[in-house]
Amino acid sequence: MFSTSSQRKFWTFSDETELASHREKHNLEFIAKHGHHIEEYQRYNFFLSPEEERLLLKQYELHLKEFCKRFMPPMPKGVVGTAFHYFKRFYLYNSTMDYHPKEILATCVYLACKVEEFNVSINQFVANIKGDREKASDIILNNELLLMQQLNYHLTIHNPFRPVEGFLIDIKTRCSLANPERLRGGIDEFLEKVFLTDGCLLYAPSQIALAAVLHAASKEQENLDSYVTDMLFHDAGSDKLATLIEAVRKIRSMVKMVESPARERVRVIEKKLDRCRNQENNPDSEIYKRRMREALDEDDMLQTGSGRMSLDTSGITQVLSPSAS
Amino acid sequence: MSDINNYSVLGRIGEGAHGLVFKARHLPTGREVALKKILIKNLEDGIPVNVMREIKALQLLRCKYVIKLYDMFPRGMSLVLVLEYMCSGLWEMLHHNQQEMTLPRVKTYVQMLLKGTRYLHAHYVMHRDLKPANLLINHEGILKIADLGLARLYWPDGGRPYSHQVATRWYRAPELLYGARYYSEKVDIWAVGCIIAEMITKQPLFAGESDIEQLAIVLQRLGTPTEETWPRHSELPDYHKITFPESSPMPWPDLLPGVDADAIDLIKSIIIYDEQKRISAKEAIRHAWFQTRPLPATLEDMPRPKSKTK
Repeated sequence: MFSTSSQRKFWTFSDETELASHREKHNLEFIAKHGHHIEEYQRYNFFLSPEEERLLLKQYELHLKEFCKRFMPPMPKGVVGTAFHYFKRFYLYNSTMDYHPKEILATCVYLACKVEEFNVSINQFVANIKGDREKASDIILNNELLLMQQLNYHLTIHNPFRPVEGFLIDIKTRCSLANPERLRGGIDEFLEKVFLTDGCLLYAPSQIALAAVLHAASKEQENLDSYVTDMLFHDAGSDKLATLIEAVRKIRSMVKMVESPARERVRVIEKKLDRCRNQENNPDSEIYKRRMREALDEDDMLQTGSGRMSLDTSGITQVLSPSAS
Repeated sequence: MSDINNYSVLGRIGEGAHGLVFKARHLPTGREVALKKILIKNLEDGIPVNVMREIKALQLLRCKYVIKLYDMFPRGMSLVLVLEYMCSGLWEMLHHNQQEMTLPRVKTYVQMLLKGTRYLHAHYVMHRDLKPANLLINHEGILKIADLGLARLYWPDGGRPYSHQVATRWYRAPELLYGARYYSEKVDIWAVGCIIAEMITKQPLFAGESDIEQLAIVLQRLGTPTEETWPRHSELPDYHKITFPESSPMPWPDLLPGVDADAIDLIKSIIIYDEQKRISAKEAIRHAWFQTRPLPATLEDMPRPKSKTK
């Protein structure tokens, strides 16, 4: 249930200002940490500004959408929605200069596949990626745990797709609207665009679903206002109705504002990012490779440590909870 | 952020499918916990789907009869789950402490198991691997459902296919043995029925050595399924792959010698081919067996397992 979910409690924010302040905070933190050798007034010549980070991420959200659209085998909508949530959540608390969006993008989709029970192996997955697939698979697997941690292990996502089905069933049974199925095209188109906005970080999935349904109806020159006021909110107070109407209006206007960033600007930002990104997290850098080796070694040490411990407790060898098969 | 420095590791308590399990103390609270370490570095596809399922399910569930997930943190190339510490389990009770498993106590364990199962099903989670080894018992004597690595959310409309490669053989429902991809939470109820019988008789109810033998045993005891006892069973994926000799159902008192009539009545309302007729956990909790003498033991009378590591 959304009402008791981590999505509502930890990942639904009050307004766009709150989102912007989280993002700006991590931009500033990154620069403060890595920019002490650069004069203050020159820093944004070298580092990305919060606006540049936003533009870059918008571009990568378009890449995310395209990647999922072309994915083979065809990907269920729920996986795409979940991947978008993860991607947006990750960059609320991280700078693109710390973690390159192309690497996080693939990891988000991979994790979403698992969580949504769309079972593809890593090899099947990277077959959808152009370029060095072995490297891609290393990057994804190395980032998976980081991503889960940054999501605070809140893996369950409530997408608007199920509420849409609910509304359609309800409209069919309680509304006089002829052939509600014809709304689907408009709904799908709207939901695709919603994920290019911050809508899912601000509104409940059912509000987004209703915005999609109402948008699709108006495209068909139909009006469902009385369904909302007389049926859905018949017994609710007028303040609840007002909140909902405002949410729907806001979501629809966000969707209307969606536009692709200018290609030339993004190209400049990408170039800048190649220079200012944190080399510790760049899989091509020496420092990254060394760190990965150290992580492996640390793990081996922990294993040896546990081996020693098992001597102290010899005799306790029964398996407490083996899994099936 | 939580990390290993918050814990003092007290010893190793077992080995899970993906790594070791340790007993530890959470230093800020003094609470005993189990640390389940999942090694990721050698895993082909990264963090196993089973682990994702377990995390998702445990985050959703808050029930006295389901094990709790307190926290998680990365450690090197591993993920560590911090779980409620359970010092024993039903498997140990059945194999090492049989004399302690008196009928009143069995009834109480069954009630705990049914309450946990009812809770899972009320949240649309099917466990899919209920068995004595996954039912752990804490120092107060409370039984809790653990190891939700196969647990998944289901939709009550039954519109999605699921893998049939679930559940440990002895506790696997007949529809799974025949390869069903569309099944329901009633596969858990079948497993519960098998566990109840095993707790009473101290013998597994259907102990097949292979999947085929498992099916043969079930069919031989319950009789060859008919369209009436098991509607549409002949449409199941693996039904035509193998045929078994015709048999008629064995009387329940022969299957469960010495078991009282109320217990038999409960078990035979669960161990039914037709999942539609198999009673729910909610219904089973209200069964007369729990109202008849000997009554279920109170928590004070339950065995309190001792911690095994110091």
